Amino acid sequence: MKYFKLIRRNLFRNRLRSMMTLALIAVIFFFVATLLSILELFNRFEDQGQGTNRLVVQSSISLANPLPYAYEQKIREVPGVADVCKLQWIGAYYKEKKNFFANFAVDQDRMESVFADYRIDPKQMADFKADRQGCIVGTDLVKRYGWKIGDRITLKRQIFPYDPELTIRGIYEHPVNTAALYYHMSYHNEAIPPMMKDHVNTFWLSVKDPSKNAAISQQIDAMFKNSEFPTETVTEKQFQASFMAMMGNIKLLFGSISTCAVFMVILLAAITMSMSARERVTEIAVLKAIGFEKGLVMTLMLTEFSLLTFAGGALGVLGAKLIYMVVPMGKVTQGFLVGFQIFPMTALLALGSSILVGLIAGGLPAINATKMSVVDGLRRVV
Amino acid sequence: MALVEVKEVHKVYKRDSFEVPVLNGISLSVGEGDFLALMGPSGSGKTTLLNLIAGIDRPTRGTIAVDGREISNFSETALAGWRARHIGFIFQMYNLIPVLNAFENVELPLLLTKLSKKERREHVETALRIVGLADRMKHYPRQLSGGQEQRVAIARAIVTDPSILVADEPTGDLDAKNAAETLDLLQHLNTDFKKTIVMVTHDPKAAGFARRTLHLEKGQIIEDTANGARAQA
Repeated sequence: MKYFKLIRRNLFRNRLRSMMTLALIAVIFFFVATLLSILELFNRFEDQGQGTNRLVVQSSISLANPLPYAYEQKIREVPGVADVCKLQWIGAYYKEKKNFFANFAVDQDRMESVFADYRIDPKQMADFKADRQGCIVGTDLVKRYGWKIGDRITLKRQIFPYDPELTIRGIYEHPVNTAALYYHMSYHNEAIPPMMKDHVNTFWLSVKDPSKNAAISQQIDAMFKNSEFPTETVTEKQFQASFMAMMGNIKLLFGSISTCAVFMVILLAAITMSMSARERVTEIAVLKAIGFEKGLVMTLMLTEFSLLTFAGGALGVLGAKLIYMVVPMGKVTQGFLVGFQIFPMTALLALGSSILVGLIAGGLPAINATKMSVVDGLRRVV
Repeated sequence: MALVEVKEVHKVYKRDSFEVPVLNGISLSVGEGDFLALMGPSGSGKTTLLNLIAGIDRPTRGTIAVDGREISNFSETALAGWRARHIGFIFQMYNLIPVLNAFENVELPLLLTKLSKKERREHVETALRIVGLADRMKHYPRQLSGGQEQRVAIARAIVTDPSILVADEPTGDLDAKNAAETLDLLQHLNTDFKKTIVMVTHDPKAAGFARRTLHLEKGQIIEDTANGARAQA
């Protein structure tokens, strides 16, 4: 602590340079925290729901290839399967294409059983089941469009040749998936042309014992292996991951951009710190002459550099946290980043990286400055 | 009794593939309470000799003992600790830390000790009082004149009560008045506080404040004279 004053004063010895460096680091870490949080959001999306005790049966050819309703009963008879629920991706939008969000037709009678992690008032659930054109919506959609129970909404077609006309009967809560809409599978099946009827793109099933997931998956896929509609049964996590993969390797892209940004900040900080260390060669020599050991001088310099990058990082992360508390990213990104925020683990990772940036960027200048002999340092005219 | 014993010291600097001999077998003794001036033309080796005595450089050959301890064999860490306890530095360009005020500059060497904050304050105030700058404690180097800066540097040199003060051209950057005041202060420290001082200077007038003057040329002592009547500011 007794050295803190020296560190603090050196930190702001060139106020303009320090402030510019701080601002630069803050801006870069604002983006790093943002990108890492988007990655974290994707990971949460993959991990959403009960995950381990839910399996998804889809066509082994492509997710776009439907499976016949008749599979439901056969899947239900597989030992270890607790219940089965049909789920169809609709892909419609609300009023304008920019108002896109996830919307599904779901087997209204099985939803509660298979998707038990979706919390909804029992009365609202009963109303939903009772209304053929009823739907339930996530809390985030309600906020985004100012909907309330009883509102009539019409979705615009994109994949199927009809515009779903729905009445909001319930609002569900979910830890991650807060921006989706579900309506009756029976309504969907009646609205589509005969050649499409009685087919669905996924069966979601709950299992009694998650440790038997692999065996159940194998048994289901073996059952339909030589049929017209072969299946691929995966865990919910694998399904969500493959769904994410359809967007391209966006995680790799974001991860790479974050790494590049950190690398860039290391280089920029290294330049600033080299200048700072170079200016102080004589002072460092004086400190060593009066008895400061090399290790102590280096510790003081690295502490100073790390404090600078940490302060910049903290400023960037805090700024991002505050901004995303105010800016509704779900709305801004048309539902792409629903529930987006700077997650605590991401913030910690960014802050840890900022300290590391100081140590890496300041390492070489500090070593060079402290390894110079006292005599050479005193002789140096900066 | 000799406080500093320099025996057959050689110093050779390597510049690329060349070897430049700077000191050629110098031997000398500096007694406790002595005030020694090192004079000589540029390149004569006087600053190198001062650096060796201060423990910030090592001889190529020969030995240097201070207070009976052979310092040329100390490790770098041990030498740093030894300097903190035994040596006070005064530089030509003062070399104060610009971001610290006078008080904080003088306090720097005390940060390496186990003294409490209160004790450090007492020591710093005493040192600044001795150099006549008790009323300039909160001033930063840029707010002080050259002479005042050098006095702060002297306060920093004496605050740990070291055995030896080494001064490299302490008046080289000062006007005549401030130079005289600085030399007077050094003489005062030598006479009244019994500080052993080794000072490098080009200026014969400055050397006149010392008790003894060594003249170096080409890395060898060519003259060792005692100053009978010391100069007065």
